[in-house]
Amino acid sequence: MKSLTLRNLHKTYFDPAVGTRVTAIQDVSLEIGAGEFVAVVGPSGCGKSTILNMVAGFLPATRGDIIVGDRSVKGPGRDRGVVFQNFALLPWKTVIDNVGFGLKMRGIPKPERDRIAMEFLELAGLSQAAERYPNELSGGMQQRAGVVRALANEPDVLLMDEPFASVDAQTRMTLQEELMRIWGERRHTVLFITHDVGEAVFLADRVVVLSKGHVLREIPITIPRPRRWDALTEDGEFKRLSAEVLQMVRAA
Amino acid sequence: MSHSVAPIEMGQGPGAARHIRQAAIFVAPLVVLFLSWPLLVWAFGVDARVFPGVKAVFAAAVESVSDGSLLAHVAASLGRVAAGTLLAVVVAVPLGVAMGVNAGISAFLTPLFRFFSVLAGIAWIPIATLWFGYGFGAITFVIFNAVFFIVAYNTLLGVTAIPMRLRHAAASLGAGRLAMVTEVLLPGALPNIVTGIRTGLGFAWRGLIAAEMIATNVGLGYMLFVARDFYRTEVIVLGMIVIGILWLLIDRLILAPLERATIERWGLVQRA
Repeated sequence: MKSLTLRNLHKTYFDPAVGTRVTAIQDVSLEIGAGEFVAVVGPSGCGKSTILNMVAGFLPATRGDIIVGDRSVKGPGRDRGVVFQNFALLPWKTVIDNVGFGLKMRGIPKPERDRIAMEFLELAGLSQAAERYPNELSGGMQQRAGVVRALANEPDVLLMDEPFASVDAQTRMTLQEELMRIWGERRHTVLFITHDVGEAVFLADRVVVLSKGHVLREIPITIPRPRRWDALTEDGEFKRLSAEVLQMVRAA
Repeated sequence: MSHSVAPIEMGQGPGAARHIRQAAIFVAPLVVLFLSWPLLVWAFGVDARVFPGVKAVFAAAVESVSDGSLLAHVAASLGRVAAGTLLAVVVAVPLGVAMGVNAGISAFLTPLFRFFSVLAGIAWIPIATLWFGYGFGAITFVIFNAVFFIVAYNTLLGVTAIPMRLRHAAASLGAGRLAMVTEVLLPGALPNIVTGIRTGLGFAWRGLIAAEMIATNVGLGYMLFVARDFYRTEVIVLGMIVIGILWLLIDRLILAPLERATIERWGLVQRA
């Protein structure tokens, strides 16, 4: 695991509708320690997905640095594993081939990458679905595959872009708990984007509230781990923190 | 036969009964045409130099099959189509992919494609015969043109229709330029490519017959054209029947199932 540092990140772009350059991200700096789980919340349009896309290397930053460990990065790379909102599994590959894709890109031979992919599928309870195609799976199962696909490639940092926003509420809670279990075992450095305040407080060590392209506040989440929904929904600390973050997001 | 002539459809039919009914609907008009032909020739006393009777065409078929000439014409025509198509696909797909990922290349080539796709066909024959002489080269070139532009354009469409997040996902998993092409862009564009090949071959087949009338001394088009010089209407009609049936067989037995299979297996990208 490595740390992730965003230093004075700016993003401006030309908006043809307005006819001028608009600022999407304004001087965002963020330190995420190795093995730390940081959630970024904010209302839609606050720029949280723009930040993730810049960190992932899908979108060039106008100014500023993105540093993984001690290395400044540009463009996409396998040091930063990405979990997408709409899963982004390759539809023409089976689940096991999707999970083994990063290993294939590293030149690992088929038997070896199948073995590793299978381990990760078991971790996500997906071993039965290994030979199926993504469109044959439920949204929840697809996203389990999406998560372990990123993990199987052993990234230094895990970037998650509203990964549970497109599954139903029950599945979402299960996926959040599973993510906590896996993260508890492996302690990845995680940058997690969400608009769901409860989700952010439940998952993260620290919640960053973003407003109009800049960091409004950072709130440490001191709730002890392991966290489970049935214990936390009535927890005073969880309620207090959620209310505090929610207030800020609504004011943002 | 019943399965092969069923019209293409995206959804899974409920079964054989439906296939047979669709086949019957497709075949019925052809049967009516075939049965009314001798009747009309007899009723109006049509001169064989205007239109042949069934018997004469049948005799011509027996004759041209037994002396091997029909097979030679068919083989020549199919060989040109195969060569021209193969060559066109090999050139068009990489170009289409390049256009799909590079806006500059695409912007530069698209107007040229618009222009040349209008010309793609028989209009190339005069200059093609000057370049390649009469025969295989000139005709294959016409086929190439008919298939090339449409396959390149369809490849372009297929590549640009691939959701950006799939390319992002592959890139963040470590896919380089080559892997992006082989693992994402080609599989993602494959349904469009196959559709392009099917459409292009339809044009190529028509162009082939026309080109063979002008620029060769063997092939189905040539067979028709020469028969005309000898008022052998039965050979002309035989040739027309062979041309139609061959295309139906190629399209229904090879191209349509191939297109259906690719869309079912690989075409999920649009829905994903």
